Amino acid sequence: MKKAKAFLAIAMAATLSMGLVGCGGSADTSAPAASTPAENAGTEAAPAENSGTAPAETVTAGTMDLNVMLETPVESLDPQQATDGTSFEVIANFTDGLMQMDADGQAVNALAESYDLSEDGLTYTFHIREDANWSNGTPVTAADFVFAWQRAVDPNVASEYAYMLSDIGQIKNAAEIIAGDLDKSELGVTAVDEKTLQVELNVPVSYFLSLMYFPTYYPVNEEFFTSCGDTYATSPDTVLSNGAFILDSYEPAATAFHLTKNNDYYDAARIRLPGLNYQVIQDSQQALMSYQTGALDTTLVNGEQVDQVQDDPEFMAIGAGYLWYVTPNIDAVEELANLNVRLALTYAINREAITADVLKDGSAPTYTAVPMEFAAGPDGSDYSEDQTRYADVCAYDADKALECWNAGLEELGVSEITLDMVVDADDAPQKVAQVLKEQWETTLPGFTVNLVVEPKKQRVEDLQNGNFELGLTRWGPDYADPMTYLGMWITDNSNNYGLWSNAEYDAIIDECTTGDLCTDAEGRWARLYDAEKLVMDEAVIFPLYTQCNAEMMSSKVTGVEFHPVAINRVYKNAVKAE
Amino acid sequence: MKKYVGKRILTSLFTLLAILLVLFILMQLMPGSPFNDEKLNADQRAALYTKYGLDQPIVVQFFKYVGNMLKGDLGVSYNISKNTPISQLIQTRLPISIRIGGCAVGLGAVIGLILGLIAALKHDTIWDTLATIISVIGVSVPSYVFALALSYNFGFKLGWFPMLFSQQDIFGSSVLPSVSLSMFTMASIARFTRSEMLEVLGSDYMLLAESKGISGAALIFRHALRNALIPIITVLAPLIVDLMTGSLVVEKIFAIPGVGSLLVTAIQSNDYNVVISLSFIYSAMYIGIMLVVDILYGIIDPRIRLAKKGD
Repeated sequence: MKKAKAFLAIAMAATLSMGLVGCGGSADTSAPAASTPAENAGTEAAPAENSGTAPAETVTAGTMDLNVMLETPVESLDPQQATDGTSFEVIANFTDGLMQMDADGQAVNALAESYDLSEDGLTYTFHIREDANWSNGTPVTAADFVFAWQRAVDPNVASEYAYMLSDIGQIKNAAEIIAGDLDKSELGVTAVDEKTLQVELNVPVSYFLSLMYFPTYYPVNEEFFTSCGDTYATSPDTVLSNGAFILDSYEPAATAFHLTKNNDYYDAARIRLPGLNYQVIQDSQQALMSYQTGALDTTLVNGEQVDQVQDDPEFMAIGAGYLWYVTPNIDAVEELANLNVRLALTYAINREAITADVLKDGSAPTYTAVPMEFAAGPDGSDYSEDQTRYADVCAYDADKALECWNAGLEELGVSEITLDMVVDADDAPQKVAQVLKEQWETTLPGFTVNLVVEPKKQRVEDLQNGNFELGLTRWGPDYADPMTYLGMWITDNSNNYGLWSNAEYDAIIDECTTGDLCTDAEGRWARLYDAEKLVMDEAVIFPLYTQCNAEMMSSKVTGVEFHPVAINRVYKNAVKAE
Repeated sequence: MKKYVGKRILTSLFTLLAILLVLFILMQLMPGSPFNDEKLNADQRAALYTKYGLDQPIVVQFFKYVGNMLKGDLGVSYNISKNTPISQLIQTRLPISIRIGGCAVGLGAVIGLILGLIAALKHDTIWDTLATIISVIGVSVPSYVFALALSYNFGFKLGWFPMLFSQQDIFGSSVLPSVSLSMFTMASIARFTRSEMLEVLGSDYMLLAESKGISGAALIFRHALRNALIPIITVLAPLIVDLMTGSLVVEKIFAIPGVGSLLVTAIQSNDYNVVISLSFIYSAMYIGIMLVVDILYGIIDPRIRLAKKGD
């Protein structure tokens, strides 16, 4: 636990210091877009401390590009087709949505100058900035959003993130259009005039504004899109920018590409990087060496390299949001249908040993079904800050584990249990699974775990088809609300791999998504804890750790903002010293 | 001769079609599908299957694919670069792989020949031993070990060459990958040249040539090497295809946007069309080179042509 606390302190210090610079930057340029909502008041004190150094940096715009390393190539630059973090990060460099994230991940205005919310919480009216233009000179209009959002739900486009508009965003008719029952023109979004966009929702959605910075909600200019035909978003000529940077070299699945500052960006005064130079490096050793020669300003390091660099002041662990957990097949495996067996398994896991001795990348042991540091509540505090909330059912306790184990064996009338666990063929999951197997087999007499290592696609297929006993899997948050996790364990959800079903749980989730609690932020928050408690009490999943990425960041670079949700890295406030 | 060539070409075409069918069946047997992602539910997967026509029977898919391919359409990528036509994906990458592979073959062949010649001419001396040691190392050490060692020493420590491929400095950044890829070719060529040369040098016609008063360079190059080259070309042909279609590991290490790294990523993510297209291109190049070699044989050595006719 000591180690975990030390990590948390370091991680928080790192994020905080990044945050400070970020705040300092936006405060100095006093750009109208940064009309920070009141919720951010808590962090406003920060820039004062930093004001001694920040202004000096802001006066001079940099002359050197930021050299950024990527682990995988971009999958798609089409905002309605992209699904992975890498693509999102790059798309967000050259496209703004209605909202953007501030350094703390709160939604602040971007293309929207202001917005109105109707009293019943069902209609948002966004007013788009007059000075928001595409890089070909045409203005960004409400029609661009209508076109893009209709694409997102169009069954012919088959966007993987269509559910961001339907289930998550609750936009009127979205679900029916995706199902093919209504035409896409019926979507509850209208261009009232050139710069006014009206959105109708089925129910009030408390986190709706935070969805507006999710790339699936980004605008696309219809005329330009049509002129590109099938080649949209496959080259610099077939993308339009309305954001901080312009893509000036790119080819599909490129290993290197470049973006230049967009001087016509409405907030151009705030952007101090002249450009971004992306380099895909799949070999981690080459990446670190390139970083050490100065060819890269930031790079990822893997668990084995951490020992080598962890004393370097440029080393840091960045929260990646992913919760890794073990899912037991409660429905199909008799042994795992037994609550005592499940509790024994979760008590027997020493999560600290996994993060401190195996992963070593700063990942944090997690004892809640919703991971830490991505969802802030009505009072601004992290939903899962208190990791001891469910300590009576989720903690490392060998004695309790043994007690439950014996009780479980007795109930089942057996003396030993053998189970298979499916695991991704990647490096980290395999190592974690090895340790889990060892911990379980030493703590629980008569327990044998066989690891079934599979390519990730096969592993996911097996989980989705219920063809597994235990599964090691992960889930990254899609939006900054605990529902992105809690929504998974309702009856018949496709990510409820163990097919756990609990009427009370379903009722709570219903109440919080479409029911009475939609408009009552505090009440909803409290109910979400009730739901999470059910998941934990019944050991529906065994949470393991919240993933961190170990990164190196040159001391010359400040102001890069890291987020576990939607867009992982934001460079709008980044500065690179000469 | 015409009949011989025609028969060869027909066989090649038929082989290619068979390869395509096998590839198609293998794709079906591959575990998982392109759309097995945690974030996709069953309805969405079904929608994607319909969108790309993967819900149709495999026979229909196969004939559609062959039909499209004849029109030059290789389909689109499902994962690596969503909805990008494969032809677009490959057309920028293949030249890079061919370039680096070509450099590697050229370099390996020239140095290999020289090493082999030295070893054969200075038979049973320290030079022979040295050349043999070098070629044994070259054959047995995998190219990625050379790649890492070269990259560490000449890229990282000395900073002579860029560690990563760069469009701005294609020549400079091709040096290290080309050298690491050339090692195997060099070593194989050196070994073949040595043994072939030794055989030729010991033959009667060499003795005759020598007794006719031919000596020095003319003897070695015109009479010995030329005869030794024929089997070497046979070895070289598949090596060329191997290198030109990209080396997966070396491309990964030097971040080269070639087809080798593309194929690996495609296999990992079940990007069917990319896998099929690349494997098919690889097969086509291989068969193409074999066809050329076969035809060349027929031209160079009439005995081969006659023997085939007799079959």
